[in-house]
Formats: sequence, structure tokens, C-alpha cells
Amino acid sequence: MSNSKLYKGSLNTIILKLLNENDKMYGYEITQKVKELTKGELKITEGALYPALHKLEAQGLLDVEVAKVDNRLRKYYKLTENGTKETANKLEELAEYIKTMQTLVNPKLA
Amino acid sequence: MMKLAESQIQDLYAFTRKHYVEHYDLQTELVDHLANDIETMWLDQPKLSFEDARDKAFKKFGIFGFMEAIEERQKAMNKRYRYYFWNELKQWFRVPQILATLSLFCVFYLAFSSSYVSVFSVAFYVLIFLWCAFKSIQLNRQFRKRKEVSNKKWLLEEMIFKQAGGISFLFLSQLYNVFNISEEFTTNSYAVFGLTLVFTALTIFNYISFQLIPDKAEELLNETYPEFSL
Repeated sequence: MSNSKLYKGSLNTIILKLLNENDKMYGYEITQKVKELTKGELKITEGALYPALHKLEAQGLLDVEVAKVDNRLRKYYKLTENGTKETANKLEELAEYIKTMQTLVNPKLA
Repeated sequence: MMKLAESQIQDLYAFTRKHYVEHYDLQTELVDHLANDIETMWLDQPKLSFEDARDKAFKKFGIFGFMEAIEERQKAMNKRYRYYFWNELKQWFRVPQILATLSLFCVFYLAFSSSYVSVFSVAFYVLIFLWCAFKSIQLNRQFRKRKEVSNKKWLLEEMIFKQAGGISFLFLSQLYNVFNISEEFTTNSYAVFGLTLVFTALTIFNYISFQLIPDKAEELLNETYPEFSL
């Protein structure tokens, strides 16, 4: 996808928002969910997803859980209390950003 | 839905190892990811071979493969180790442990302000160095044994047992000036105070990283890795 650079800055917000709506998720599920919600318009790349998840975990925003599924172990991520707070902040920031961009790109709408 | 067989899961573990993922914690997460992707591909193309599906799934990680994930994992774990270290360090400034810290400080201060400062500084330095070297060898051995038993290597485990004193040794190697301390040193009270501070910190830091944290290894590993005791 050619415009993936535009989404890059919002990856953390997207992850947090998804986890806010779904109690716990694993990596592959996140990539599939984003694909499904955006009808394939946005694909989170594997190479970006895991570094982002580990970073958020280190920041104390995510907690992990592991369960045996089929014949393998699956690592689930969920929001910590701080993570829930941060999600609200991030979403607010993003809304503000979208609004600003709109004023710039389409002054009539704003 | 076609599912991966146990042997194929093991093959994926070997595949991640081949691509420089050394630690079991990250291997597990990536194996599950590849497995999910392969199984999803099989829904549309049931004839696709396991190897082809696996390589296709891996390609999606980009030209750097698992490198970025490895790097970020390392950084995240460093942060966690620092957090555990800091937690231990804080204890030394609480009652009653602060009494131990102060006593340690006083002992060093008395020694370094006496006329035997040159003897004391070298003696303490050598003592700390020897103890660190001994602990470091001992912990390395423990780590090898643990790995033989479980056949798995965890990133945090490696940090606790193998990299524990890395910073200490670097610090000690910079302190070689203690071998040049003369009696006149005691006339400079700032220098005495400074040296006392350095030795107190050195003792506590080393004790935490070579003794206290390794002692708590099981607890910390269980807390970090929910799958550790699975």
C-alpha cells in the first residue's frame, strides 16, 4: 500500500483502540481485525506490529497472558489500567490531528 | 480447517532459530503468528505446501525479517530489568535497610580517611572484584545447567544470569586509579567523600545484580513470562 507512511504514526493508537474494544487479542488477530475493519485498505505489517506491541508492553500500557491453543502457545495482549487512560489520550490527539488536517485540506468542511 | 501438526510447529521453532531468534519467549510468539498465517492461507489454497506457506508468511515481515522484533524485544526487556533493579535499589533507602547502607558508608569513610587509605582502597577494590568474578562464573554455570534441563533460553533469564555484572566490570575497570592513591588523599575531604560514595554504590549495585536479583529469578521470570511454568 502506497500510503502506509501516513498510517505509521497512528499504529500505537490503532493497537490501543482495538484492545480497548476487545478484552484481549493476539498479534495475528490484530492484523486480521484491521484488515477486516478497513476492508483491506490498511494492512498492518508484521514487521511493525510486534516491535510496537513490545514497546507498549515495556511502557506498562499492555499486559500479557499466555494460553495453550491447539498444539501451541498463544500470547495475548490486554490493556493495563494505564493503558486504558493512555488510549483515551491518544484518541483525543488523533481526533485533533484529523481536525487540523481537515482544516488544511478542505477549509470549507471545517 | 487444516491445522498444523506438532512436528510442523517444531519446524517453525527451528525456522525462527535459523533466523536469529535465540530466545524462547519471542520464538513462541512468532511461531504462533506464522502458524496462524499458514492455516489462513490453507483455507484458500489447500494444496499449498507447508514450506511454501511458511516462506510466504515470513516474507510479510519485510526485508529485515525478525530483526526489528528482536531489537525491540531486547529494549523492552532491558527496561524491565532496570525496573526490577530500581525496585531492589529503593529498598536500601528504606527503614531498616538504610541502616545497612549507612553503616557501609561509615566503614568506607573511616577506612578512606585513615592514613591507611592506599591499603584499604586496593584491598576493597580487589575484594569486590574477586567476589564479582566468582559470582559471575557461578551464575554462568547455573545458566548453562538451567538451559540443559529446559532446553529453552529466555531473554530475561540470560540478562539475570549472564549480563548481570557487565556494567559493574566496566565500572571497575575505570577505577584502576585506586592503585595510585597516596596518603595525601585524606587531606581532600571531597575526594574521600567521593570515593566513599563510589564504593558504597559499587557494593550495593553488585550485591543487587549478582545476588538479590538472581535469587529472585524464578519469581521474576514467572511474573514476566506467563508461559514460564506452563
